[in-house]
Amino acid sequence: MGDMWILFIVGWRLISRMLRYLGRGALLVPVAAMGMALFGFRPWTLAALVLAVIVAVWRPALATVLLPVTMVVAGISGLVAAATEPGANFWTVTALSVLKRRLVRRPPNVVKQVIDKIRRPPVIVRQVIVNGHARTVRLGPPGVPSRVVQVPPGGSVNWAPGAGIQGVTAGGGPGTQVWVKGPPALAWQTLGPGGGAVHLSYAGGVRPGGGLWPGGLLVPLALLLLTLGLWLLPRNLAGLRTHAAALVSSLRRRMLENRWGILLMPVALLGLTVFGVHLWTVAALLACLVTTVRWPVIAADLVPVALTAFAVRGFTIAASWPSALAGLERPGMLYGVIMVTTRQTAMLAGAEASAFLVIAAWLVPRTIGAHARAALVPGRDLELEGRVQRLTETRDLAVDAAATELRRIERDLHDGAQARLVALGMNLRAVERMLPGRPEAALALVAEARETSLRALNDLRDLVRGICPPVLADRGLGHAVRALALDTPFPVDLDIDLPGRLTAPVESACYFAVAEALANAVRHSGARQVHIRMHHAGGVLRIQVADDGAGGADPALGTGLRGVEQRLAAFDGILAVNSPPGGPTMIAMEVPCALSSPKIFSS
Amino acid sequence: MRVVVAEDLFLLRDGLTRLLSAHGFEIAAAVDSAPGLLCALLEHRPDVAVVDVRLPPSFADDGLQAALAARQQVPGLPVLLLSQYVEQLYARELLADQSGAVGYLLKDRVFNDDQFVDAVRTVAAGGTVMDPDVVTKLLGRRARDEPVTRLSAREREVLALMAEGRSNGAIAQRLFVSEKAVSKHTTSIFTKLGLAASEDDNRRVLAVLAYLNA
Repeated sequence: MGDMWILFIVGWRLISRMLRYLGRGALLVPVAAMGMALFGFRPWTLAALVLAVIVAVWRPALATVLLPVTMVVAGISGLVAAATEPGANFWTVTALSVLKRRLVRRPPNVVKQVIDKIRRPPVIVRQVIVNGHARTVRLGPPGVPSRVVQVPPGGSVNWAPGAGIQGVTAGGGPGTQVWVKGPPALAWQTLGPGGGAVHLSYAGGVRPGGGLWPGGLLVPLALLLLTLGLWLLPRNLAGLRTHAAALVSSLRRRMLENRWGILLMPVALLGLTVFGVHLWTVAALLACLVTTVRWPVIAADLVPVALTAFAVRGFTIAASWPSALAGLERPGMLYGVIMVTTRQTAMLAGAEASAFLVIAAWLVPRTIGAHARAALVPGRDLELEGRVQRLTETRDLAVDAAATELRRIERDLHDGAQARLVALGMNLRAVERMLPGRPEAALALVAEARETSLRALNDLRDLVRGICPPVLADRGLGHAVRALALDTPFPVDLDIDLPGRLTAPVESACYFAVAEALANAVRHSGARQVHIRMHHAGGVLRIQVADDGAGGADPALGTGLRGVEQRLAAFDGILAVNSPPGGPTMIAMEVPCALSSPKIFSS
Repeated sequence: MRVVVAEDLFLLRDGLTRLLSAHGFEIAAAVDSAPGLLCALLEHRPDVAVVDVRLPPSFADDGLQAALAARQQVPGLPVLLLSQYVEQLYARELLADQSGAVGYLLKDRVFNDDQFVDAVRTVAAGGTVMDPDVVTKLLGRRARDEPVTRLSAREREVLALMAEGRSNGAIAQRLFVSEKAVSKHTTSIFTKLGLAASEDDNRRVLAVLAYLNA
């Protein structure tokens, strides 16, 4: 008992530490494990579990976002599974069977039968064929071999598993037992010459699919997952949207960097219509997806290869399609956009194949050729070239931005402080001349001069605040954003976790990015509440500014957000804006940067 | 009245000491760095300190940090901070300990020496002096459910002037009303903010704090 207690405490500590380390996203793993329990030990459930572990460990933020979605999907699937399960036999199913009636519109008497079967659960009626003659067996209660079917010498027995019969124990003689599992439509077992007995057992409650949960737990578990998921979903909606926006922007960047690789997915989908939907074509589709994301260059090379393969297939069809005269009937088949049924349509397929070949030929120098040249000619690296291209662009933008900023400062100084100092000098000169003759008038001028100097100071102060805000210089980004929030005319909700300083240029760019987002919220959106989230993890600073205003912000329309995007791009940072008309607006920024140790204030 | 002055620019430090001496203050120490300020404050225990926010060694908000540290050891030590900029964030940090005797002004306010000296005296007497810039910014930003929203427009005006450290007499002069009317307003403000009728000075500080949402 004491050992159990210690084990429990140690386990709890371990779990809570893991949750603290990995965040709420770590819960994705148990949820995936539950999914495996619901749907059985299958390759895809195993894959989902492994994926959940990978995401939870490497991308905790994504895992947190995915958690409620996974919960809802698992919950709904669980309920569907429970509703369609023939042996479902518990109180919760009554409600589900009503739902089923709505969905399937069965005649009421059938529903009554279903419900009767549910209410008097552990007996199920199945037909077994013994030596060609149908025999009815009643099975139950769950898990107990309840019916023994005698088989005459030399006879055989067929039965339909599933629908409640999970396993069958066949006794060919004393001690011989065969365990049959799985969902074949009809299983059969021939007994030895001596005849014997077949024990049919009804594994009530066990999912036909082979899941591990007894049906009684399935429904409450599914409901629990669904409730939790629905409860968490709105809380994570903002995060979900940010991730979607970040995904879209990174996809856009990938598309720009690698033009032809993105063709692979459509081509692979086309392959399904050329070669038909088989296990290997679906696997190839998935492989193409992975290749497109991970190795875009190879993906681009695969496009002409795949098109050539399509063409070969098309020519084969065109060449080998029997003419109607031969009297041979072949079932129609799909080739790309053409349904081949006759020799004529087969020729059309040939034409389509030629088109594929032409496209492939056109693509070869642009993909395989270009990559081969890059590989053969030393010193050329396409990836590096793309990077250089991007750096050149962002550098130009950064230089432009700096020049514009300098012009603005020059203009502000010229029209502001400089002009006021000129006025001040003139005033003082006038005072100089007036002082001997009209001291009282000179006094008024001195007061005016003092006023002018105050204005000049104000101008300079505003200017400096626009270049480098004092709190930013004093205490860094976190405090500066706090100060910014204080100056905003509505409540700003802050969630800042920044235990150190960033480099000055990054701090400045991020500060003005947040300031621009906040200013937009104040000026245009009519927001009543703004939420700013700022975290640094894994060498990346992530900032989100969300408001509940009217939305409709678009970097392409205004210069403000576009400027922010360009300024962040100089640090390889990205900006994603999600602002549908009607709101809400969510602006997400990601800047790769290092965090130095926190500065200790002298005191 | 003994003053410690902390300012790193020689010209300004010299100007400040001269200005304060001319108005009858005794300069206990004039220092040019944050560590020096902390030592001077703890050693001389002046009646009031006039401190520049930005000081060596790091030229960030060292002056503010040193003043806060000194006030931790000597609660209620009167400190008037001067700065080229006023930041609400820093104003809140100054006001956070709720013991009053703090001031936060733009450096330009020194130009008007009478007002500046008044401010120094107010702080030394335990009052709170906030720069009109801080006060104006706060005017634009009020949550709906704060007690301050229960005040009438006139009462808010009076409270804003109180936050700038003005006496009832000065407020009356500014608003062109009798001093009696002002004191009626202040009583009403204290009632609405739920401040018990104890020592008047402390209530003024608390009212200002409520106003500044510190």
